[in-house]
Amino acid sequence: MRAKPNEALARVERKREKWMKNSCSSVSKFLEKYFDGEVTDKERILVEAHLQDCSSCRHELKSLEDLKAFIRAPVEEAAEREDFPWVWQKIEKEIRLQKKLTPWQSIRSWLDVSPLFRRRVWIPAAATAVILLFITAQIILRKTPSYPDASVVEYVESETDNVMVYQLEEPRVTVIWLLEGPEKEHAPT
Amino acid sequence: MNHEETAMISRCQQGDQEALKEIFDKYHKKVYRIAYGVVRQREEALDIVQEVFIKLFRSIKNFKGRSQFYTYLYRMVMNTAIDHARKTGKQFISSLDEEGSFEPSDNIEKGPERILLQKELEERVKSAMNKLPAEQKAALIFRDVEGLSYQEMAEAMGCSIGTVMSRLHYGRKRLQELLKDYVDLHGQSRGPSKGSYEGKT
Repeated sequence: MRAKPNEALARVERKREKWMKNSCSSVSKFLEKYFDGEVTDKERILVEAHLQDCSSCRHELKSLEDLKAFIRAPVEEAAEREDFPWVWQKIEKEIRLQKKLTPWQSIRSWLDVSPLFRRRVWIPAAATAVILLFITAQIILRKTPSYPDASVVEYVESETDNVMVYQLEEPRVTVIWLLEGPEKEHAPT
Repeated sequence: MNHEETAMISRCQQGDQEALKEIFDKYHKKVYRIAYGVVRQREEALDIVQEVFIKLFRSIKNFKGRSQFYTYLYRMVMNTAIDHARKTGKQFISSLDEEGSFEPSDNIEKGPERILLQKELEERVKSAMNKLPAEQKAALIFRDVEGLSYQEMAEAMGCSIGTVMSRLHYGRKRLQELLKDYVDLHGQSRGPSKGSYEGKT
């Protein structure tokens, strides 16, 4: 019994759909490679033949193109607008600064870039420091006894005169104080 | 690598700043494009260009010539750019970060509206790219911006060709999802893709 023409056509169509489906799955693994220009000649022929019949794969290819355009176009536009010479100048300057310096050059470079030294505020600062040092030294020295290494060897009191003997170690000097009453004092050496 | 380039690199390795200038003249646009592709922001991309060439001058002695010089340079650019993007990524808050917050208009022929849509699309693309893992993002930029072959990409990324293909595939799938309003998935391109970037590929 022969099949009706419509049934035969439907069967052919189903077979074709099944083949296309299989073909899609076998071609899809090459589709990105095809898009990226990485297929062999044989693969390219296979993909192009499939694309003629398969709208789904054509749309997939179109979506890859869209994505590429989204990623690439703003980058191209930005690069075209850009002017680069000043970028090189900045690179050159940075490299110059980073070159290894001797210790003396480092100090000089620090002095050059230090705002403290560049503005010469160090002069009054140094003057203030010297004055403060001087004042401090004066205060400290004032507390020191006149004869730091002196010691009283003997002190003799009487009704009329008092005698006091000092001895200095460095220089080796002996000082004898003769006290004649409260008003008169002699310091014979 | 031709003889001229080999000589130029060799001089640069000896500390010749003029040689660095020659390398800069030859590659600065490519470096900028990769950097811009990652960060999508002018000032930051320029900072990256500057940083890359300073780094290159310091580290070019480590280049042994086992790979192509440009793949060595591109890897350096990509790593620097991704570091920058990581540092500034947290500060980036796109107003279009929420998926579906933008409804494309049918009337895209009007000038100001079209410009606005294009800006919005750029922001959306930037946001989508920021959501990709760094390796997938790098693969897409190397391929779709710089047009490197799989072999060159494998060299620049230090991986196999199979890994390159896998990164490209998953990166593209993810971007298609994130930009589904604009990408022609079923023959119905809805967004500004029809008008804004057509004919530039």
